[in-house]
Amino acid sequence: MKRRDEVMVGLTLLFAVVVGLGGTIWVARGGLSRGYPMYARFPWGAGLKTGQAVLLAGVQVGFVDKVELVPDGTLAVTMQVNKEYQVPAGSVATVDANGIFGDQLIAITAPKGVTTYMAAGDTIKAGKGAPRTGELLTKGDSIATDIRALTGRFRSEYVEGGGLSDTRQTIKDLTKLMAQMSTVVAEQNKQLTITQQALRRTIASVDSAKVDSTVVNLRTTSANLEKLSRSLDSTRVAVNSVVTKVNSGPGTVGKFMNDPAVYARIDTLLLRLDSITLDFKKNPRRYINLKIF
Amino acid sequence: MLSFRPDVILRLASHKTSKIMRAIGLRAYYARDIALAVREPGTWVPETIRQMRTIGVESLPLSMIVAAFLGGVTAFQTRYQLFPGVQLSVVGLIARQSIVLELGPLLIALVLTGRIGARMTAEIGTMRVTEQIDALETLSFNPIAYLSLPRFLATLVMLPALTMIANATAIFSAWATLVLATDVRTDDFLSGLRLAFTEFQVVYSMIKAVTFGGAIALVCSYEGYVTEAGAEGVGRSTALAVVIASVSILVLDAVVAAIFAPFIQA
Repeated sequence: MKRRDEVMVGLTLLFAVVVGLGGTIWVARGGLSRGYPMYARFPWGAGLKTGQAVLLAGVQVGFVDKVELVPDGTLAVTMQVNKEYQVPAGSVATVDANGIFGDQLIAITAPKGVTTYMAAGDTIKAGKGAPRTGELLTKGDSIATDIRALTGRFRSEYVEGGGLSDTRQTIKDLTKLMAQMSTVVAEQNKQLTITQQALRRTIASVDSAKVDSTVVNLRTTSANLEKLSRSLDSTRVAVNSVVTKVNSGPGTVGKFMNDPAVYARIDTLLLRLDSITLDFKKNPRRYINLKIF
Repeated sequence: MLSFRPDVILRLASHKTSKIMRAIGLRAYYARDIALAVREPGTWVPETIRQMRTIGVESLPLSMIVAAFLGGVTAFQTRYQLFPGVQLSVVGLIARQSIVLELGPLLIALVLTGRIGARMTAEIGTMRVTEQIDALETLSFNPIAYLSLPRFLATLVMLPALTMIANATAIFSAWATLVLATDVRTDDFLSGLRLAFTEFQVVYSMIKAVTFGGAIALVCSYEGYVTEAGAEGVGRSTALAVVIASVSILVLDAVVAAIFAPFIQA
């Protein structure tokens, strides 16, 4: 019985020690294996503390192991990265918000297409992370101030300056105008209806047989005009041929029209006729010798 | 008509103060006797092993059951207290801090006060009223080395061990409850569990457990040791021991927190 007591007590104590130490190591190191360290430097006020998650492309690959305050205005951060993950060369570490209540995490962003990796103990280049809650609140405060100023200006210009009453008056006038337009449209609608009815009556009174005969006559006239046109066209061709012949001058008319020598001879002939006429008037007896007996 | 009697009030205050001082002094003497009894290992070592089994091993199932419900309920309630938008890993953080820093050591100590403290007082008190302790003294056998010191040492060692196991059980239970009954995932829980964790938080839990164990053993064994007036006295001593031990645990909890809490932050 005594020996059994000792064994039971020993086992219980051993179990407690194993659970206590193992659990502590497991929680503190993020597992029973420690992983490998990577470093980064961030400016003061990054809000980092031990145990915060380290994400690589959105996947948790480790945790913040140590945060040291460096007098040069930076935080020297030691991260423990699980052995099954490697950080691609050229990666950038940023401090991002984890949720909306101020918790932080380190997000490692890797460049695409890189096949080389950083070695254990390397320092990851720090980048500028997403705005933190404080910055967002400051920005929101600034926006609220602008909106307040805008609202004040609007009130002074629009409400106190009488713009609101003007707008109301404009709306009232527009309403009145719309009412008038509605009346006009109703009247126009009425007139249009009457016109449509008259048109319908006119259309109904047209004799379709007469319209058909008129159309037939028009077609006949059109055919005759077409024939006339063709005849005129052939006449024009014949006239063109005559004019061409005249212009080319092989015939009598052509020579008469085109030969300058003919013109000169005719002109000379006319001059002679003039001189004969004058002479005839002066001396008719030279040309007329009338003897009756 | 009542009249203001400063001399009566002064006498009453003096009487009460001297009574309290005497009680403290008697317990201090008792603690000194326990410390002196260490010189008799042949008397207390074998009994200590037996008491460690009684106090520690036999309390293990009760401690684990209490811890399992403690962890599960803490985590479950924490999940549904979160505002929308709060990251779910916060549940792991709050569950760990609540269990390890406060609820684990405190509730295990209070539960074991009822189980082992009451038993301790009743055992020693019964031996007192049946004059077994007097018989031991007659035989030149140090009753404190045989009765009190083994129980004190056993409680001092086993309560931290039980607290450690209870903490682990509660955290495991919290994880299982969250994963099975809520939308919290294992990654969320583990992320919060590791957030801002320092080894000193476990040491802090052990400091509390050791302190509470010492208080339980000291108070309960003393109340049994000074039991009077037969079976009724045993009952009265047992009830008084449980009350004093419970209040002592709560007071010590506040004292330990006031002293060590500034060092537990990551």
